[in-house]
Amino acid sequence: MKISDLFKMGLRSLSRRKARTVLTVIGVIIGALSIIIVISIGKGMESNFETQVMQQGGITTITVSTYADVFDDDGNWISNKEQKLDDHLVEQIRTIEHVRAVSPVINKSATLYSGKYMSWINITAMDMSVFEAFDFPELTYGTYPSEEDNSQIIFGYTSPYGFQDPTSRMGQQKQIDMQKTKVELRFDEFQPDTKKKAFSLPLKNISKMVQTNGEFDYNTYMDMDYLKEIYMKYCNTLSLTDRKKAIKTIEEYNQIKLNVDNVNNVTEVQEEIEKLGFQSYSMMQYLEPLKNASKTLQIVIGILGAVAMVVSAINIANTMIMSIYERTKEIGIMKVLGCTIRDIRNLFLFEAAMIGLFGGLVGVILGYIASFLFNTFGGPVFSVLMSGGAMYDMANTKFSIIPFYLPFASLAISVAVGLLSGYFPAVRATRISAIEAMKTEG
Amino acid sequence: MRCRMDNNISENIIEVKNVKKIYRMGKERICAVDEVSFAIKKGEFCCLYGVSGSGKSTLLNLMAGIEKLSSGQIIIKGRNIHKMGEKGLAKFRQDNLGFVFQSYNLLNMMTALENVELPLIFKHIPVKKRKKMARDMLVKVGLGPRLKHRPKEMSGGQQQRVGIARAFVSNPEIVFADEPTGNLDSKTSKEVMDLIKEMARTNHQTIVMVTHDRRLAEYADRIIHILDGKIENIEVVHKAESPIEALGQSGEVVDEVS
Repeated sequence: MKISDLFKMGLRSLSRRKARTVLTVIGVIIGALSIIIVISIGKGMESNFETQVMQQGGITTITVSTYADVFDDDGNWISNKEQKLDDHLVEQIRTIEHVRAVSPVINKSATLYSGKYMSWINITAMDMSVFEAFDFPELTYGTYPSEEDNSQIIFGYTSPYGFQDPTSRMGQQKQIDMQKTKVELRFDEFQPDTKKKAFSLPLKNISKMVQTNGEFDYNTYMDMDYLKEIYMKYCNTLSLTDRKKAIKTIEEYNQIKLNVDNVNNVTEVQEEIEKLGFQSYSMMQYLEPLKNASKTLQIVIGILGAVAMVVSAINIANTMIMSIYERTKEIGIMKVLGCTIRDIRNLFLFEAAMIGLFGGLVGVILGYIASFLFNTFGGPVFSVLMSGGAMYDMANTKFSIIPFYLPFASLAISVAVGLLSGYFPAVRATRISAIEAMKTEG
Repeated sequence: MRCRMDNNISENIIEVKNVKKIYRMGKERICAVDEVSFAIKKGEFCCLYGVSGSGKSTLLNLMAGIEKLSSGQIIIKGRNIHKMGEKGLAKFRQDNLGFVFQSYNLLNMMTALENVELPLIFKHIPVKKRKKMARDMLVKVGLGPRLKHRPKEMSGGQQQRVGIARAFVSNPEIVFADEPTGNLDSKTSKEVMDLIKEMARTNHQTIVMVTHDRRLAEYADRIIHILDGKIENIEVVHKAESPIEALGQSGEVVDEVS
């Protein structure tokens, strides 16, 4: 039999029993649809994690803080403890395997003045040598500190926030272009000594980062040595008692940040740091439960999909066997008229494969529609399903992403399920004895 | 009883040698065909005649390779058909055999034209050519206006005409007919038998027909009487030098009979 004849006869038999064919096809549609949904949601989550990680300033960064939260194994907060962070610890951490870069961090808040307007910034001071290792964002203007000149002050995208007139009742804000306007930096941790001239640093070397949607945006960065240098100047303007206290704040570090060479080693390095007696923090701790939640969700839908596929396979086999019973006579006649066993087998295999193909095709189309609906209206549902729903940037998030191979893969799976479940009935059809078949009514 | 072999063996298109068919019904063994031997010449119209249950249909099925024999040999066109595989047998049927059945055995979902086309589809004949062949054949059997009708929309006689068209469409050398008029009234029976005979005569085809109806048997050149799986006697209706002449003459005789 030629392929075109196989097509014609197969399609004719399928269309002869429309209701049953349609019901069987629906089974395959559900199977194919669930496969597409599970993989597309899985892909959606994966890409969400990736963007989240990028926004949060890198998953390979571990932070050791002076005041560390202590959690139990289930991630519940128990208490916090104070840890003494010094150069000795920095050196110890540097020797841990997989650590790419380490830097102590000093956090200081400072005030910016421009005329009568003022604003606040959070300064994060780190070793300028590690800026690159920590994947600092690109700059819209200015440069990062270098050996020759370490006096740069690098503002994050949204830092400083907005200048305000403190005397104004309305708290009116004003955008100040720091490249053009004179801006001065002051520290105000301690009461200035009235006898001395107050510390004030006119900003000259300023840089600005591009938007990252992460922690970089809210901070202002500078080199550790430069911060110490200007802070010492500030200390000198304080009264004697305050000066001692102030100097102490820059002798100890607020944080130690380290960068690990590979995502997979983050947990290992954290364990090493714990062995040194220090509590550390990384994005991994934060993402792990999210990942687990999404994995569980995927497994549940995945099992549903697999079950749907198995059921539709049984369904196809059942349909084909029924079809053979009904067409016993037809098979007998065809055999007597010189139809080869191969043709009969191919005819039934073709019908089963067509059921799979139709189901797969409709499943793929519905999959794209479902994916579109998820992305358009699925926000509330997904934020309930996922503990970290609040993390989603609702406007731009895609909950369901269909990778290019998915429609082809699910078509292939559907056809394969059709062929597999049609094989046994097809072989059975070939074994029908022509003489017995001709005697049956039909 | 044994049929005497024809002296000119090459003329024998079908040779049945010591054929035995045993069915097992539970513990009982039933010998449906018992040590039967005969030969059919090319172009001959041979009738297997006997009462119901005599084993004549079984014998036909054995000759057509539809059923497996228990022992003996059936040689058609010099080939032992019971040594052929399923594939070879299918091919052999495509090329050499046509079938007409009592219950027509048409495919109900197909039109008359498609039914007649079916054997040609298995033979891989191109669409246009086979459509023309099927149409011509249906016109020949007088169903020109009913090409697109389905079996359910036709009378028994018309259905059997489709069956005959299907049997003859690929111009097989041998046509087996199993009670071809069993479901038809006597007037239609006559029409159908005349048609079969006419077709066979024009193409010099060999017909092997099974019937229990003496009047139909009269159409044949030779009647092989079967009883209890054995040949009871062989009756030559028309002796002729050439089987073709015999066919021609028998047609006239049959007219008188019916």
